[in-house]
Amino acid sequence: MTTIKFTVNGKPQVLELDPETPLLWALRDHLNMTGTKFGCGAGLCGACTVHFNGAAVRSCQVPVQAVAGADITTIEGLSESGDHVLQKLWVELNVPQCGYCQSGMLMAVADLLKRIPNPSDEEIDTQLSNICRCGTYPRIRAAIHRAAQGDKA
Amino acid sequence: MNSTLTPPTLSRRKFLVSTSAVAGGLSLQILSPEVMAVMSKAASSNASNELSPWLTILPDDSVIVTVPTPEIGNGASTQQAMNIAEELECVWEKVKVEFASFSREYKSPGSYAVGLQPFFGGHSTDHDRMPYTLQLGASARERLKMAASQRWHVPVAEISARDSVLTHTPSGRRLRFGEVAEQAASVKLESEPALKPQSEWRLLGKTQPRKKQLPEVVKGSAVYGMDLTLPGMMYAAVLQCPVHGGVVKSYDPDAVLSMPGVKAVVLIDPTKTVGSPVQADPTFGFEGSELHSGVAVIAEHYWQAKKALDALPIEWDLGLGQFWDSEQKIHERQDRVLDRWAGAPLTKAGDVSAVKAAKTVEATYRTPFCEHAAMEPLNGTAIYTEDGLELWHPTQDMQQAFWVAVDECGLTPEKVTFHQTMVGGGFGRRVIGDDVRTVVAVARQYPGVPVKVIWSREETTRQGSYRTPIAARYKAGLDEQGKLISLQGESCFSGMELSLGFTDMAYAASGAIPNVNLATSKLPMHIATGAYRAPCYNAHAFTVETFIDECAIAAGADPFEYRVDLLKTWDPAWSNCLKLAAEKAGWGKPLPKGQGLGIAISNWPHSGSKQKGSTVCAVAHVEVTPQGELTIHRIDFTFDCGRIVNKDAVLAQLQGGIIFGLNMALNDGLTISNGAVTEGNFDSLPLLKMADIPEINIHFEALSGHDRFSIIGEAPVGPIGPAIGNAIYQAIGKRIRSTPFRKQDLSWS
Repeated sequence: MTTIKFTVNGKPQVLELDPETPLLWALRDHLNMTGTKFGCGAGLCGACTVHFNGAAVRSCQVPVQAVAGADITTIEGLSESGDHVLQKLWVELNVPQCGYCQSGMLMAVADLLKRIPNPSDEEIDTQLSNICRCGTYPRIRAAIHRAAQGDKA
Repeated sequence: MNSTLTPPTLSRRKFLVSTSAVAGGLSLQILSPEVMAVMSKAASSNASNELSPWLTILPDDSVIVTVPTPEIGNGASTQQAMNIAEELECVWEKVKVEFASFSREYKSPGSYAVGLQPFFGGHSTDHDRMPYTLQLGASARERLKMAASQRWHVPVAEISARDSVLTHTPSGRRLRFGEVAEQAASVKLESEPALKPQSEWRLLGKTQPRKKQLPEVVKGSAVYGMDLTLPGMMYAAVLQCPVHGGVVKSYDPDAVLSMPGVKAVVLIDPTKTVGSPVQADPTFGFEGSELHSGVAVIAEHYWQAKKALDALPIEWDLGLGQFWDSEQKIHERQDRVLDRWAGAPLTKAGDVSAVKAAKTVEATYRTPFCEHAAMEPLNGTAIYTEDGLELWHPTQDMQQAFWVAVDECGLTPEKVTFHQTMVGGGFGRRVIGDDVRTVVAVARQYPGVPVKVIWSREETTRQGSYRTPIAARYKAGLDEQGKLISLQGESCFSGMELSLGFTDMAYAASGAIPNVNLATSKLPMHIATGAYRAPCYNAHAFTVETFIDECAIAAGADPFEYRVDLLKTWDPAWSNCLKLAAEKAGWGKPLPKGQGLGIAISNWPHSGSKQKGSTVCAVAHVEVTPQGELTIHRIDFTFDCGRIVNKDAVLAQLQGGIIFGLNMALNDGLTISNGAVTEGNFDSLPLLKMADIPEINIHFEALSGHDRFSIIGEAPVGPIGPAIGNAIYQAIGKRIRSTPFRKQDLSWS
C-alpha cells in the first residue's frame, strides 16, 4: 500500500492503494468515478481513455503510481455540465447506440482536436483507434468534422 | 404514405386502463381484463393490487414512461416513449424513461408483459406492443381533458390538448397538464378514446427524436451493470474452464487468501444449482444458461481480485471437448454429415432426384463460431441473504434473467428483486442468462454483502454463447438456358438451430424453382452457442446468396438480373431493392482488374412471406491487390420494412447493422484448438475501427409504405458478407465460400 496524491477534474485526491493498480480501477473502484469504462484491460479498445496532464492515455495501462502529482481529466470533467461542444454534438447527431465506449471515444476525440484542430478523414482514421462495437463510426466522423468547423451544436 | 393505411388499434375488449393519484400527479396502467380480474380478487389479501404504472404525469408536467424493454442501444425504450407522447400531446422534452422491474411483473402477472417477447428489447413497434403504448397516451390525454372540463365547467369537446397544455378553445383559458394531473386520476371515462388515424400523427414518422439516455451517456453518468456501486460492495473476478463442459479438478485457495484485500475464493459448481421452487417461466427456457465450472476470487477491489485470480493455482479436467483438436476436425466432421445428404427435409417441392439437369452446380460453405464482443464485458451485481436476493444486471431479457436467478438460488420468486441497468451492448449475448446464473452462484457464497462479479475481456471471449457454426451444401440443376430447375440444400448446425432465411428462402417460397429439397442436420459440439444478431439467418444469408451467385455465373447470367428474374413473381419490394441498389452503385460500369461489384439480398425474419419482415439488399464495391489485400470501397444499401416511425433511429440501426455484418464477414471467427477458444483480447479478436469503415450509402427510396413497422436492427447484417464475397469473385475470379475473409487467401496474378 502506498499513498498516491493526484488531481482528478481539478479536485485533489489522496489514495492508499497498491501502486500497481491501474489508474482505471483507481478511478472506478476507489473514487467511484464510473464514467471511465473498462473494456479490455489491455490498452486495445480505448473505452478507458482519460487525459493525463492534458494528453489522452488508456487508463487501464497506467499504474496509479505514475500519476502521482499529475492532473487527470475524466469524462466527468470534460465539461462542467455536459456541454462540451463534442458532448452537445454527440447528442445532436444521435451518435451513441449502447453508449458504453463513448466516454473513451469523447476523451480521445477531444484530445485529437486539441492536437489537430481540423483533421482530414485520413488523420481521423490514423489517430482514432478506439473500438465501437455498435458501429457508430460514421456519426463520430461527422461529429468531428462539425466540431472542427467551429460548430457549437 | 396515405391515410388508407390501417392504424395500430387495440380491440376494446382487450384492455382496461386503471389510474391512481401518485405524488400529486396521475399514474396509469393498462391491463388485460383477465389480469385485472385476478388483481381485484387479490386486492383485499395482499399488496399485489399496487399499481404498476406505465405512465406517470407529475405536477411539474414531467412525464415518466416505465418501459419493460431494456435499452441495448437500439432506442427501443425511446420509441415506446414516442408512441405514448404521440397520443398524449405532451412536450417531448418533458418525457423521461424508466425501466420496469420484472419483480413487479411477477407479483402482478400481465402488468408489463405484452407481445410476443415481452421483455426483449427489439420490439418497440410490434403489432402487440405499439397499440398499448399509443392507447396509454390517448387514455391519459382524455382524462386530463375531462379534469379540465370539470374545473372550468365546460364541455370536454371544447378543450384541446397540445404541448402539455389544455386549452378551452372558446375562451382561451389554459391549464398545464401538471395542474390537473391529480384530479385526472379520479376521472371515470365512459369509454376509452379511439386512437388517432395515422394521417394525424405529428411525432411518429414526422420527427426523429434522439435516444432519451444520451445526455447521461455523454457525461459518463449513465449506469451500466459495470457501474453499479453499492455501499460495502466487494468485487469478484471469475475464471471458468477454458474447454466448455470441463470442470475444476483442484485449486488452492490458501495460496492467495493472504493477498491484499482478498476475502474469499469460491467454486462455481454446476452441481450446486438449487433449482426453482415453483414452476419457472423463463422466456427461452433454461438450456444454455447452465453454469460453467470455475472459480471466483472475492476481494475489496477488482484489481486485487484479478491479481489473486491470476496467482491462484488451478487444475482442470478439460473433459470430452478436447476431441475437437482443430478447425480441420470440425470441417471433416461437418463434411461427413453433409456427404450423407440425410438431413431432415423441411421444405420440399417436386422431386429433386428426378431432375435431368443440363448443368449441375455444387458447393459447400462454412461460417464459424463468433463472439459478440459487446464493449461492456460480462458482469452483474447481487446481494444474497437467506431472506432474499437482490440483483442489478445488464440483461437483454429481464424475464429470462429473473427466472435464471430464481433457479440458481432456489429462493421463492417473491424474494428475488431484479433491477435493470443500462446495457453496454447485447447482440444476443445477454439473453440466455448464463452470466446472471454465475453472478448469483458467486454472491450466494458470500452472503450479506453486495458482490459485483466481473469477467475479464479474455474470460468474456472464452466463456461466450457464440454464433452457431454452420456448414451448408447446395446442389442445383440448371436447364439448357441456365434456368434453375432444382435446388437441394442442407445446413448442418453445431448448436442453436434456426432455419429462417434458409428453409424459407424466397427463391424456394416463390415457387420459382420447381424442385426443391432443403434439409437441416446437426453436428453436436460442446461449445455454448446462442442468439447472435439475427441468429443463423446471418449465416444462411451468406450461404444462400453466395450459392445463387454461383448459379448465375454457371448460367452465364448477370448476377443482378438473375436474381430479378428469379424473384419476378415474388413481393415486388425484393426487385425494387435489387434495382435501386444496383442503380445507385452503378451496376455494370467497367472497373479495372482487381475491382468488382457484388450484390446480395435477404429478409429477416420472414424470407418466405410477401410483405413481411425487413427485406435488405446490398451492393459492395471492393478492390483486391494481387497480394490479396482486400479493401471495401463502398456499400450501397436498400431496404423495405414497410413503414418507419423514426427515420434517424432506423438509419442508426442500419449503419450499425451494416458495420456488424462487415465485421462478421471480414474478421469474425474464433479458432478452436483442443476444444478451447484460443482468442482472448482484441489483439487476437480484431474488430473494425474507424479506418476500416467504407463509404456507406443507405437509400430509403425502396420503402414500400406497406402497413407494417417491421424490426430493422437485425436484417442488415445478412447481405453484407455475400455482397462482398460476390464482389471479390467479380474482381479476381476467386470464389470465397467461408468467413471470415481475413483468413482466406485472396492473392491473384
